Amino acid sequence: MVQIDSLTFYYKKEERFFDFPNIALSKGENLLILGKSGIGKTTLLHLLAGILIPISGKVVIAGVDIHSISHPELDKFRGQNIGLVFQKKHAIQSLNVIENLQTRLFLSKKPINNTSIDFLLKQLDISNCKNSTINTLSEGQLQRLGIAMAVIHNPQVIFADEPTSSLDDENCKIVIELLIKQAKLTNANLIVITHDHRIKSLFSNSITL
Amino acid sequence: MNIWKISLKNIKSKPIYTFLSIFILALSIALLLGVRQLEASFKYQMQNNLGEIDLVIGAKGSPLQLILASVLHMDNPTGNILYEDAKKISKSPFVKTAVPISYGDNYKGYKIVGTTNEFAKLYNAKLEKGRAIKKSMEVILGSIVAEQLQLKIGDAFLSSHGLVENDMHVHPEHLIVVGVYQSTNKIIDRLIVTNLESIWDVHHQENEHEENKNYLEHHEKGKEITSLLVSFRSPSALLTLPRRINENTNMQAALPKYELDKLYQYTGIGFKTISWIGYMILIISCITIFISLYKMVKERAFDLALLRTYGASNFQLIRMIAYEGLIIGFFAFFLGFIVLKTGLYFMFKSIETEYQQNILQKIPLQEFLQIGGVVVITIILSVLLAIYPIIKMNISTTLSNEK
Repeated sequence: MVQIDSLTFYYKKEERFFDFPNIALSKGENLLILGKSGIGKTTLLHLLAGILIPISGKVVIAGVDIHSISHPELDKFRGQNIGLVFQKKHAIQSLNVIENLQTRLFLSKKPINNTSIDFLLKQLDISNCKNSTINTLSEGQLQRLGIAMAVIHNPQVIFADEPTSSLDDENCKIVIELLIKQAKLTNANLIVITHDHRIKSLFSNSITL
Repeated sequence: MNIWKISLKNIKSKPIYTFLSIFILALSIALLLGVRQLEASFKYQMQNNLGEIDLVIGAKGSPLQLILASVLHMDNPTGNILYEDAKKISKSPFVKTAVPISYGDNYKGYKIVGTTNEFAKLYNAKLEKGRAIKKSMEVILGSIVAEQLQLKIGDAFLSSHGLVENDMHVHPEHLIVVGVYQSTNKIIDRLIVTNLESIWDVHHQENEHEENKNYLEHHEKGKEITSLLVSFRSPSALLTLPRRINENTNMQAALPKYELDKLYQYTGIGFKTISWIGYMILIISCITIFISLYKMVKERAFDLALLRTYGASNFQLIRMIAYEGLIIGFFAFFLGFIVLKTGLYFMFKSIETEYQQNILQKIPLQEFLQIGGVVVITIILSVLLAIYPIIKMNISTTLSNEK
């Protein structure tokens, strides 16, 4: 469950004001947010993930108004309930694939279960690079690892920021399909924010900023 | 997976910086500990070897040389004094004990000291086996001499003239081992003790052999000894006795404590210099560790922001950096210790053979903890400087700049 209510944000440095539309997603529902560069896509995503603090408005995830709780609580909430997928950087450089996933579980204070890690890597077709270091992975493998990092802890919501913009058409489709599949498996809400119109057809529910 | 493991992986992922940090810190630790150890050993050795000796009376010359020769047995004596003259001083009411010593010979580098039974009491040395010396040409061995030379009671050996091992000038008379002292960790462990008569006998006969007339005349005047080791009955003797001897006789009186303090001041400058070099390197290592950690924080800013999105708190990230510093410190201490031990081992191998004396002491615990404390403060300082960007980090901006 994700609910956004009259959310606004102001960038002091650039003197820019953002006013975001209200959104309400029921459990398991996905949403594609389309928008041109500079329209505040990443800002919205950071507000949703509790990385930025809004001027006004509410973000409610799984019944929790995330901007009303304390910082440590927010850190904990983010770790346990939110999965983030980024465009390029997906994992910690100094750790290998499996260590990254173990770290992810450790930081979200969930039990480290190597069987479920293996299972997820298999599903994402990257079992063979389980012990690879991050800088030896290809773009496609990295993006899959990014998905794994976002879902391994069974989050309530998965936010993806331009997950496909550096991928070719084929990988683009595969990655989105994987995201949708994983979201469904964990019964999480998936919100993808992008300017990439190639994936519009894969979502039934979309808005444009 | 835990914070320690993540820190360890971080360190492993930048081996050159890690190595540099550890190496430089280890070097400064080794230097600082080494200096303290040498200093402590020096002090201990000197004080320990003084035993109960308050004053040394010997031939005129350098007082420091007289002390080094008569107390530490490290240098050549200044010359000889007449036993009669020395005896006169022994009778002074200020004197509690006065032990004459006489030497000039060695066996395989270990000095042979002619003296009285009082000598062993100065060092609290007791016989481990055998008996006291009853007649000329009998010797009792210090514990290290007995061990190193594998000599037993009843063994006989030939001494050679001078204080350094040589085959050129060997006395023809056999010395016979009659006893071995218990280990005292003092200079007596490395000496061969005999009575005064043995020394006189050996040299008297020799002089007869070689330079008959001249020396006969000389020897008739009286027996000679190298020096007299005096302990006072009361500290007030310190004020009068040395001055009286120095002014009224052809002998000199030297105060071992005073002379060794002087010597210690000379060597102290060296220790201080090395200490300062050690601290300088410690500062450099502090900067190196700081740069290494800071570089990690700056270059991996995105990784750190990612960790925050994974649910890590700021405090966990700070712990991660702090642990990296601690791991570096731990390995540096370990490596520093190994460097120190091997360095001192090779250094003292040469000194030991030169002076037949192992003077190395353990580092006093207090000094050890002090250096440890300084190192920990260094690491904490580097960590504090390095975590500043974490505290200041804006996750949103960092994540937005990924491209």
